[in-house]
Amino acid sequence: MAAKPSTTTTAKATYSPIDPTRKTRPPIFSGSDVDWLRPDSRGFHQCRPAFFRTGAVNSASGSAYAEFGNTKVIVSVFGPRESKKAMMYSNIGRLNCNVSYTTFATPIRGQGSDHKDFSSMLHKALEGAIILETFPKTTVDVFALVLESGGSDLPVVISCASVALADAGIMMYDLVASVSVSCLGKNLLIDPVLEEESYQDGSLMIACMPSRYEVTQLTVTGEWSTPHFNEAMQLCLDASAKLGKIMRSCLKEAASDEQE
Amino acid sequence: MVGLSEGEKEFIKGGIAQDLRSDGRKRYTYRPIYVETGVIPQANGSARVRMGSTDVIASVKAELGRPSAMQPDKGKVAIFVDCSPTAEPTFEGRGGEELSAELSSALQRCLLGGKSGAGAGIDLSSLVVVEGKVCWDLYIDGLVISSDGNLLDALGAAIKAALSNTGIPSVHVAAEAASDEQPEVDISDEEFLQFDTSGVPVITTLTKVGKHYIVDATLEEESQMSSAVSISINRQGHICGMIKRGGVGLDPSVILDMISVANFVSRQLMDKLDSEIAAAEADEEES
Amino acid sequence: MGLPNASEDLSSEMEVDAFRRLFPLRYFERHLAESIRPDARSLSRARNTTISMGAVASADGSALAKIGSTTMLAAIKMEVMTPSLESPDEGCVSIDFHMPPICSPLVRPGRPAEAAPVVAKQLSDTISSSGMINLKELSLVGGKAAWMVYLDIYCLDADGALFDAALLSAVAAFSNLQIPTVSLDDGKIVMLPEEQKEENSEKEPVNKEKRKLTLGGIPFSLTCILHKNYILADPTSEEESIMETLVTVVLDSSNQLVSLYKPGGAVLAYTSAVQDCIALTRQRVKELHQILEEAISGMEID
Repeated sequence: MAAKPSTTTTAKATYSPIDPTRKTRPPIFSGSDVDWLRPDSRGFHQCRPAFFRTGAVNSASGSAYAEFGNTKVIVSVFGPRESKKAMMYSNIGRLNCNVSYTTFATPIRGQGSDHKDFSSMLHKALEGAIILETFPKTTVDVFALVLESGGSDLPVVISCASVALADAGIMMYDLVASVSVSCLGKNLLIDPVLEEESYQDGSLMIACMPSRYEVTQLTVTGEWSTPHFNEAMQLCLDASAKLGKIMRSCLKEAASDEQE
Repeated sequence: MVGLSEGEKEFIKGGIAQDLRSDGRKRYTYRPIYVETGVIPQANGSARVRMGSTDVIASVKAELGRPSAMQPDKGKVAIFVDCSPTAEPTFEGRGGEELSAELSSALQRCLLGGKSGAGAGIDLSSLVVVEGKVCWDLYIDGLVISSDGNLLDALGAAIKAALSNTGIPSVHVAAEAASDEQPEVDISDEEFLQFDTSGVPVITTLTKVGKHYIVDATLEEESQMSSAVSISINRQGHICGMIKRGGVGLDPSVILDMISVANFVSRQLMDKLDSEIAAAEADEEES
Repeated sequence: MGLPNASEDLSSEMEVDAFRRLFPLRYFERHLAESIRPDARSLSRARNTTISMGAVASADGSALAKIGSTTMLAAIKMEVMTPSLESPDEGCVSIDFHMPPICSPLVRPGRPAEAAPVVAKQLSDTISSSGMINLKELSLVGGKAAWMVYLDIYCLDADGALFDAALLSAVAAFSNLQIPTVSLDDGKIVMLPEEQKEENSEKEPVNKEKRKLTLGGIPFSLTCILHKNYILADPTSEEESIMETLVTVVLDSSNQLVSLYKPGGAVLAYTSAVQDCIALTRQRVKELHQILEEAISGMEID
């Protein structure tokens, strides 16, 4: 409701001076326009530089901070700890996920709340990778906070969460690396930024375990023909294999630092 | 929760492996589908779909609103699902809420297309009355009355039926108002516009049990799943949305295979659904 | 980490970590008797403190403050409002303090932390009573439009002395604040796009000069624990959980007392103890002032 004229605003209603309709660049490029540059002048199939660091939060059992361009995320892992009293007995462990946004994560304040389904999406992306049998009767809590939303938030949260789980020493079959592509016209843009996501015709997100070559979560929106879909999926799988290597080297570095 | 003994579990799994499920169906056979339209007179459109003991209702309510600033030439559609606590004991309290949220977001993903509105089953630009000023807001509500598995497919089918049952009053715009004012509109009580629902995709959920996948799983069969993938496919055979519903990881080649199976199954489902919807509409007109 | 020469009772037979968990109070008192704390600080010493400015790109002003491992991220977003009739030429500041579940094992989603509203109230009281911000500077068009300043502080890691870290990050975020240039368009305040700033084609910015706030007396704080006769400055969360009497002193840069909190607790404080706390705070204010100055000048060099 940012566009109310000032005469009708009540004393407390406020609006952001950022005009949501003003576009900084032409919104959509047609299929033939290959010269169109991405806002951060990357190639279409080029990911943003990824940065991971473990041990961001001392009071947690394990934690990680991830930064992909302007997307900044912290994930803390607590546990395995006692399950809630109301929970029934379970001979495998439970996974509890929660994703929240800071109020300043989005360009206009307080818009991060329209991602209610992220918590369950994170849960589904991780549950296939964690060996729940190793902590029966207890719960592992994975809490994520998006400090700044710069596009591809959910894939960054998923990748960061799996690094945090590894940092907490939770047994997993493999790390989970997640990448998304946006479809604009006929082009596929990997690792889209916020602006590209808002114009996208379709999107595909994959979370996979690179060494086992298994997909733990896959979501698609928009209309895709089968060949187009195959191309996008392959693109994501290749990128997540590379991302997996970066995540692995971050963990190795952290481990060798500890030994010294 | 389904309490099953080890023997029963083996029976279900063994049956699926041999392509003969406990209720006598084959792996890719649906339970009989019953469609009833116009069940809620107050709504602009509604339908009830039954598949075995799974029973859902979808209703469509249209209201005049303002298009969003980002997309002045498109109407808005919102989908909400509610799981009645009477449908299943686990739906009481928070269990139902979580499932409702999950189903709502899965349906939005599968039916509403990308952010720009491309690939949506419903043509959003047909909902605009005056560009940038007045448009129709569609509120689609789903209600789960009784749950015996495969809720997402049933809800998807019910929404498709409800949309084809929906009549939107035609709107006459009174004299052109000044540029910054809302124009006056006159909503007709007699003339209704029908929706073109041929573009609305159907959702097919493939549940993987053991090495095989089945369609239209019952609650008992769902409790034995290792993972499930819901794929929404339209008439052209294009994928309009997909979501993997938890469980273990899948090899990418398995996913591609699932898509081709879904493509095949969904065509049958769509034909079946279309004829059921036509029959239901005819029934309603007679009575 | 632990005490080397533990001679009597159980402590001689136990591992240090086990002793720390089972008898936390005794473990601490042993340290205090030697005028040292488990993390090797002296009693009056605060933990290492750092500030980094401009941590959040999407905000108009932001800062990350760390005291030991307690981490606070503060960010300011400016929005436009119609000022109230009582004060037509004043803006407004709204302060929120959040403890998301990532910050501590005690916070669960859906159940807000007990400490959060207490710290939030203390923060807004302190900032409004210190007179750091002149609300008149936030006016855009008298009676028509003024800035609404939303300050949100997130605790990223909770390890004691939450209020001190939160106040420090808030102060730093305010000194980092860059007010966006806006113009009046159709009775509505709109941000000037980047490229128009220089040429000023048709729209005249409303606030050409006022890009920074002039901060009045800047408040700084120090939290101390009172335990028996000891005064421990800047406690960790472990220390806070064992010894429960806290005193928080807030002084501004000219050493005037802004506020003082002693929310109950088992130890009744003598006035002399409170005076000692104030003396400790006075030292700390000098330190913090310097750290803030360095962080600000560090930003300007970049």
